[in-house]
Amino acid sequence: MAVSLRESVERISDPRNLDDSVEEVFRLMLGIECRREPDRLTFEHESVTAVVGFGGVLSGACVFRSGACAARKIAAQMTGMEFETIDDTVKDGIGEICNMLAGAWKGTVPELAANCGLSVPAVITGRDYKLHVQAPEFQLHHNYRFAEETFEVTIICDGLQ
Amino acid sequence: MIGSLKVAACRPIGKTEGVGMSEIRALIVDDSSVMRKIVERSLRQAGLDALEVLEAATGVEGLELLKAKPVDLILSDINMPAMDGLEFLRQIRAQNLADGVPVVMITTESSEEHVKEAIQAGARGYIRKPFTAEQVKERVLPLVQRA
Repeated sequence: MAVSLRESVERISDPRNLDDSVEEVFRLMLGIECRREPDRLTFEHESVTAVVGFGGVLSGACVFRSGACAARKIAAQMTGMEFETIDDTVKDGIGEICNMLAGAWKGTVPELAANCGLSVPAVITGRDYKLHVQAPEFQLHHNYRFAEETFEVTIICDGLQ
Repeated sequence: MIGSLKVAACRPIGKTEGVGMSEIRALIVDDSSVMRKIVERSLRQAGLDALEVLEAATGVEGLELLKAKPVDLILSDINMPAMDGLEFLRQIRAQNLADGVPVVMITTESSEEHVKEAIQAGARGYIRKPFTAEQVKERVLPLVQRA
């Protein structure tokens, strides 16, 4: 029998699922406590964006974005190394954080965990770019803070079976 | 810990103080170099001090390494380009490359279906990312100690 999540939209789009996922990934993998940041974030300088796609009963993406400094600190916390630039290791680490966020988020709803696959992460770096999404089914966009740094996580659902 | 089907072969090389067992050689397969380092660090934190690590970024690379060197433990991601972790596991078994060697999947895929699929393919353990060093200790050490 085909799985349908149409009746579960409210449960899937519950904002607490995203907060719980972010807090779990940062606490377990980085030993960092992070909290929701109410203010809108701006990335005036170089930023790092990682995207992991969802496929299956839900199509869309999990998007992680931070400034270069936060990305270097996250990668340093993951590896125990220091980074002065956004090198391949930093990009790799941020891609993996996004992968774990996507996995943890879909894991909060069992039907989603079982019937929704993840793509391998894509990582984008640069300045002055925007992510445009046309009329998603739903979107969660939360900002977070750890220490002096901030980052944002967006869940975009553009199709739900 | 899930599954417990075979007793793994372990080559005696030396003694490690951490958990009182012979040195082990582990193959870590993950397309993320950062995750490979984190898994290695978690193994050492679990007490596997006398550890030789082989790293592979893909299942294909992992198979080539297994043809060249015997290992005592395999830890593999599932979502990887070219050859995913489950296919890697099936190929190991099909080609008899690591008979009796415990394979632990470390992955973001956490559904019961994924776990069942991994066990059917021959995995002896399953760790969901994100994980703690304590979880690695609980799920990996019994497999290598039994060996």
